[in-house]
Amino acid sequence: MSQPANAVKKPVSIKKTILRVLLYFVVLDVCVITLYPYFAMLCTALKNRVEIFSGDTVLPVVPLWSNFIDIWSRAPMAKYMLNSVLIAGGSTIIAMLCGIPAAYALARMKFKGQTAFLGFVIVSQMFAPVVLLIGIYQVMQRLGLTDNILGLIFINAAFNQAFTIWLLRGTFMGISAEMEQAATIDGCTRVQSMMKVLLPVAAPGIVTTLIFIFINAWNEYTVALCLISTDTYKPLTVGINTFNGYNMIEWQYLFAASIFAIVPVVILFMCIEKNLVSGLASGGVKG
Amino acid sequence: MSTKTPAAPAAELAKKPPRPSGSKKLFRKVEPYIWIAPSIILMAIFIVTPIVKVFQLSLSDVSRAGKIKGFNGLENFTKVLKSPAFSLVLKNTIVWTIAVVVLSTILGFMLALVLNNKFRGRKVARAIVVFPWATTLVIQASAWNFIINKDYGTLNTLLMKLGFISAPVNWTPTPGAYFTWEIACGIFVTIPFVTFCVLSGLQSIDASYYEAATVDGAGYFQKLFSITLPLVKSSLTVATVLNIIYVFNSFPIIWTMTKGDPANYTDTLVTYLYKLAFYNGKQGETSAVSVIGFVILLICASVYMIYTLRKGDDDL
Repeated sequence: MSQPANAVKKPVSIKKTILRVLLYFVVLDVCVITLYPYFAMLCTALKNRVEIFSGDTVLPVVPLWSNFIDIWSRAPMAKYMLNSVLIAGGSTIIAMLCGIPAAYALARMKFKGQTAFLGFVIVSQMFAPVVLLIGIYQVMQRLGLTDNILGLIFINAAFNQAFTIWLLRGTFMGISAEMEQAATIDGCTRVQSMMKVLLPVAAPGIVTTLIFIFINAWNEYTVALCLISTDTYKPLTVGINTFNGYNMIEWQYLFAASIFAIVPVVILFMCIEKNLVSGLASGGVKG
Repeated sequence: MSTKTPAAPAAELAKKPPRPSGSKKLFRKVEPYIWIAPSIILMAIFIVTPIVKVFQLSLSDVSRAGKIKGFNGLENFTKVLKSPAFSLVLKNTIVWTIAVVVLSTILGFMLALVLNNKFRGRKVARAIVVFPWATTLVIQASAWNFIINKDYGTLNTLLMKLGFISAPVNWTPTPGAYFTWEIACGIFVTIPFVTFCVLSGLQSIDASYYEAATVDGAGYFQKLFSITLPLVKSSLTVATVLNIIYVFNSFPIIWTMTKGDPANYTDTLVTYLYKLAFYNGKQGETSAVSVIGFVILLICASVYMIYTLRKGDDDL
């Protein structure tokens, strides 16, 4: 990580200096453009309506922090927040409970239909929930899970199985099986050797997977939009659209609420960013 | 996490139990299926059943309430294909997918090359670049929708304050312009994913290759095309195929910015499908659109499968 590939030492020259300046220029530009929407959101969240619709200011004249407090009474924000936590947390737990054994079997055992199962896992990635909405809706109706948080938990868990298995299988395969074999010889059962030997070693990969699923479920929008009709069951992503009315958009509240939805996820993401990508790549290449 | 130990340990383990006991042997055979059962059950109920349902509905005469009234062959498909909106929607989908995937791949790749250099503040830059990936698309799209608003958007305000323009510009005079902004937003949120996939590939390249090439007098671009590109090809392929699937199926950006309006001009397959199902109640036709979507993606996925399987053979 700390050793970039093309850091060949050379004497400092004018060309080198120019390249350096150019590099910083590009990086700075990219950062400014990337952060611009967040900057715009934050500024808007701190303005009053008149100031927003006049379009005269970039920064708020007087920062109106009360917007961040008002949203909690103008919409059931606390409920939305709780629902998002429940949905993301619940789907993460279920996805892991189902995904860890499956990934373990794929990494450590040989069985008939292994390739077929792995193939199905890959193909299932193709069926985004949005294309299956009609089917999902009917199945949920049959199970009585429309307009129900539990329904969203199961859907998110199921549609994240592919990633869970993919990432975990890559992690498990990167760990030598010798320790587990030794544990088995010492009289451990398979379950014990997995729980006591493999999982602790695989912890970084497991945490990465866990956070990734959590973020995916937290950010999910389409299925929630279609399945949930009761306001108090909505997650944040759908709920914040309360401020996005048909005749009047209350930008200051929409963005204030958005910031509450963004911050936890961005922090989590920055924690796993490094591990996630190597996990994706190793799982993918070894397909 | 990503060392080179392919299927070897698994094979060793499988060969290990030489005990001849009958019931034990049977258990060994069944065991893997017990381990994968929870995952299979979960996916069977919540992914496979909806898939089957969609295929069934696409071939049926369906009431507005979603009840199947009878088999009607390919009628839903002909209805969909004949509707004038569909060809426009299909064209939009193709433009959307290709534009977003191609441009975000090129830009993401270039950004990865930049971020792979050693410089002060690299960690901060990487943390910032990851932002759009972590943000839910609805919020990103709302933010851009606000930024480009012609009456009070901050882009106009900012450009006027900086003196680049003297009067507010209407950034979205035509549906085509709006669609272009949607594509730009799509590219913006897709770049980080590509960048980080390529970065992971770049970091696994041994620096000695570059040193050897430098000694041999290779220039920057020569090194780029004969060392870097071939070695990150596999990470790039994974990223691209996943991207094709995600971008093709991407719903929130277009839904938030234009809802596909006016008159399907900015609709892609998925927003068209949503409206058909939940606004017009035409569930049979919706399912037909879904099936057409699968077929297109299936072609892409099979190319991917063939690629990875062949790749796997090379490794062993």
